[in-house]
Amino acid sequence: MNEYQKNQVQLVGHLGNDVQIVEFGKGNKKASFSLAVNSSYTMTSGETKKETSWFTIVAWGKTADSMEEMLKKGNEVGIEGKVVNRKYVDKSGNSRYIFEIVASRFSLLEKSEKQAVEV
Amino acid sequence: MPNLLQFCLVEFFFITCSSLLQNKADAKTNIMNVRMKNFVHLVGKTGKEVEMVSFESGMQKASVSLATNHYHLNAQGEKVEETNWHNLVVWGKTAASFHENVKKGNEIAVAGKLTYRTYTDKNGVNRMVTEIVVQDYYLHTKKVSAQGESLETEETEDVELLPF
Repeated sequence: MNEYQKNQVQLVGHLGNDVQIVEFGKGNKKASFSLAVNSSYTMTSGETKKETSWFTIVAWGKTADSMEEMLKKGNEVGIEGKVVNRKYVDKSGNSRYIFEIVASRFSLLEKSEKQAVEV
Repeated sequence: MPNLLQFCLVEFFFITCSSLLQNKADAKTNIMNVRMKNFVHLVGKTGKEVEMVSFESGMQKASVSLATNHYHLNAQGEKVEETNWHNLVVWGKTAASFHENVKKGNEIAVAGKLTYRTYTDKNGVNRMVTEIVVQDYYLHTKKVSAQGESLETEETEDVELLPF
């Protein structure tokens, strides 16, 4: 990390669906998918509980290109990006909130099937 | 003692690497991985005074909103400023010191994890709130001396806050 980031998030999880691509004019591309992050915590009673949190991941440009190419549903992936909370007004005039993670870097943590066979 | 420390370091490295690469869902290693799997780091200014809630169980919860600023250039090459608002939540002992030290408008750095919860509002609509559960924080303040001169000081609450 060369640049000092003021808003930075790291997540490791599994893809809940395939990468969805939306193409805009001028070659602008947006990739999005949902990421499941598993965690567990121990309650005061000593019982361990597991929970899964779902996050929406969004990426633009070259990151979107490589995501489209490399990621598939179920893959384990590490994401680095920033947290974005924004508000918009829908057709019916209701204000809605969007919470997403704009990814700037990612890495596929799972070995691909081909590599697994070689090992 | 040095041997024990060395062992701990090696163990930590091994656990982190092996679990990340091999995706072991081992309960023992999970405690250490929580922070690696879900980690947020924010630097910004608080938008209001810290609100404190005490529960019957003795647990304390402090909450505040934090604004982070971000600049980007638009198609015309103009600088566009974006402000993002985040909900911060602090639990336990950290909550007390957070409430005591952090005032409205202070610049702080926080490290924690990203969570969300859902609730039903008055109109019966399900709403989702995203929160950053703060584990460590760092206060960046300007203290004013008795003579009225501003003294640049930094108060450190947790030294190991900035890992980068």
